[in-house]
Amino acid sequence: MNILQQLNDIFTPERVLTDEDSLQNYGKDWTQVYTPDPLAIVFPTSTEEVQALVKMANEEGVALVPSGGRTGLCGGAVAMNKEIVVSFDRMNKILDFNSIDRSVVCQPGVITQQLQNFAEENNLFYPVDFGSSGSSQLGGNISTNAGGIKVVRYGLTRNWVLGLKVVTGAGEVLDLNHGLVKNATGYDFRHLFIGAEGTLGFITEATMRLTNIPKNLTVFVLGVTDIPALMQVFETFQNTIELSAFEFFSEDTLSLMVNDKGYARPFDTEAPYYALIEFEVDHESKEESALQAFEACAEEGWVVDGVMSQSLQQAKDLWRLREDISETISAYTPYKNDLSVNISKVPEYLDKVEQAVNQNYSEFKVLWYGHIGDGNLHLNILKPDSMEVSEFFEQCSKVNPDIFEVTKKMNGSVSAEHGIGIIKKNYLKYSRSKEEVELMASVKKIFDPKGIINPGKIF
Amino acid sequence: MKVLVAVKRVVDYNVRIRVKSDGSGVDTDNVVMSMNPFDENGLEEALRMKQAGVATEIVAVTVGTEQSQDTLRSALAMGADRAILINAEEAPEPLGIAKLLSKVVEQEQPQVVILGKQAIDDDSNQTGQMLAALLNWPQGTFASKAEFEGDSVNLTRETDAGLETIKINLPAIITTDLRLNEPRLPKLPDIMKAKKKPIDMVEAASFGVDLTPRLEVVSVSAPEARKPGVIVANAAELIDKLKNEAGVL
Ligand SMILES: Cc1cc2nc3c(=O)[nH]c(=O)nc-3n(C[C@H](O)[C@H](O)[C@H](O)COP(=O)(O)OP(=O)(O)OC[C@H]3O[C@@H](n4cnc5c(N)ncnc54)[C@H](O)[C@@H]3O)c2cc1C
Repeated sequence: MNILQQLNDIFTPERVLTDEDSLQNYGKDWTQVYTPDPLAIVFPTSTEEVQALVKMANEEGVALVPSGGRTGLCGGAVAMNKEIVVSFDRMNKILDFNSIDRSVVCQPGVITQQLQNFAEENNLFYPVDFGSSGSSQLGGNISTNAGGIKVVRYGLTRNWVLGLKVVTGAGEVLDLNHGLVKNATGYDFRHLFIGAEGTLGFITEATMRLTNIPKNLTVFVLGVTDIPALMQVFETFQNTIELSAFEFFSEDTLSLMVNDKGYARPFDTEAPYYALIEFEVDHESKEESALQAFEACAEEGWVVDGVMSQSLQQAKDLWRLREDISETISAYTPYKNDLSVNISKVPEYLDKVEQAVNQNYSEFKVLWYGHIGDGNLHLNILKPDSMEVSEFFEQCSKVNPDIFEVTKKMNGSVSAEHGIGIIKKNYLKYSRSKEEVELMASVKKIFDPKGIINPGKIF
Repeated sequence: MKVLVAVKRVVDYNVRIRVKSDGSGVDTDNVVMSMNPFDENGLEEALRMKQAGVATEIVAVTVGTEQSQDTLRSALAMGADRAILINAEEAPEPLGIAKLLSKVVEQEQPQVVILGKQAIDDDSNQTGQMLAALLNWPQGTFASKAEFEGDSVNLTRETDAGLETIKINLPAIITTDLRLNEPRLPKLPDIMKAKKKPIDMVEAASFGVDLTPRLEVVSVSAPEARKPGVIVANAAELIDKLKNEAGVL
């Protein structure tokens, strides 16, 4: 039987799309550099349907691409070779909540923000948060082990996954860890699926953990003299109070936000870098400590000026200076790199990377921002107006080996939290050894013997 | 010219409001409190008047419990010169607050009193008007623009019909709209300095005004939750539901 017919049988025709608009739309993620060419888009509503699809795909030898909110930045959800895109848009329900376990059973298409709101309605908190949480899905978050802006305190998505239901590439349904906090019974396959970028199978249900709502989150934005000073500021604050975020952005980044989109500067004094620091003020003494930390940093000459939010609205407004960067600079077709090193090595690393870019491409404008409290830097190279997109990307990919060579030497990562997907495939070797990559391929073979699930991604 | 700015400590605009289970009011235990947003506009306007050389001294005043000192500290950090806390355990009604403020006006002799057009906790929108009546001063409410000229001020007001510009003589009462200005964030060095600025504490009872409540709150309840929507298959079903279930056709 022809494949489309079989899809119609499994899903009913209204949940199988083949029109050109849908193919273009669902065939790509946020990267926008690849030309989508899927065979069809399907919208399962149950684990059973996904299992039936995987069985059919194994028999027919057709590839499947798991697709979430398509906000991924590495091409993980891109379909360019007549694959069937499996969208979880219709599996977007919260199925169960247990207030004693503080666990929520979610379908994979639940939007990150939907879980955040659900938690808040129940007086609890889901702490994984980032610029795209209004569109990204839990299935995508888990498959990329998404990080974001609160990692300093709460860790990555991995910390919040209590259980997973998956359909492997071989078509088995596995119910992993059953929401348990403790379970010392051999290999924990749950952790293989977290961060697997959809290459081992489909996540069809996830049990997520919630925590207490932080009280009175307060934000400082500080003007900082240079990167070594920024690290001193980090150390000073970290030793004084528990931080829930420590982010940074450069003056070039801020002035672009101000000039292009009319964001208000937090204060008039210009500084080469800005730190955004967030912490909980559940007691007056916390504010006192934070102010003392500020004073100490000012006395040392690390900080030139700063503001503090006086209301939750002001805290939100300050956050926009950091969270809206990604969207604002997208007008410049930036070439993005998401890098990490040990926190203590950040100043040396940033210096060396900047040198590598400047040496050959002094006309390129480089913007730095990121989750510096995690040693995670977003390097964005902006396209000069006069240059064609293809020419620009070609030039950038020539800089890459230089950047990644530095990264390798310093034991850093070529992709801190965005994944490998297609975009970083050729550079995996800078962060993972030959043996490791071979083992990854062997693991994939076990879960997906015919190689039908998201082929060509990661390695 | 001296400017008096009234500020109020309210449940933060971004907090999800919870009604107490006994229906006696809104739960404010362990809830983030901030300055009423309209009052931030009031204070910002006064600060701009000072920057422009129109105002010489800015005094922030609040009626509330001792915890309202937080709000006054924010006002001082933003740039108010000094602050007055009128200590009242039971929150007075707008009339009571207007009476207390009229006494402060007698003592301080400001040329302008700026208040928010309403406080976001009870949304009364009364205090400024009542204060104007008690003092027998001109009032310009819902101001979105203020231009001072000698001993009068040109005020642009936001009304249901559009914008209205009036000229009123000083001394006067102004109540603010959110579009009046973009309030500044206090700088950290100023927050430190604000800790040393004076706050005068006065007992509400010492003013000798009648604060007896005139309203009785019978019960407080949360708005009815929105019913979830339904997806209909076609227009015919929609019309049927609108006619027979919703009864709107
Ligand atoms: C403005 C902006 C800001 C961002 N900020 C951050 C940030 O701070 N931190 C961060 O970590 N990321 C960030 N990202 C990247 C992105 O949002 C995350 O990677 C997110 O987790 C992707 O989720 P998604 O649902 O959009 O996944 P998609 O892009 O749809 O897919 C991502 C991967 O997951 C796989 N997948 C999706 N659903 C399933 C499933 N049910 N089963 C198996 N595999 C599946 C896909 O095949 C793909 O490989 C940002 C993106 C944008 C656009």
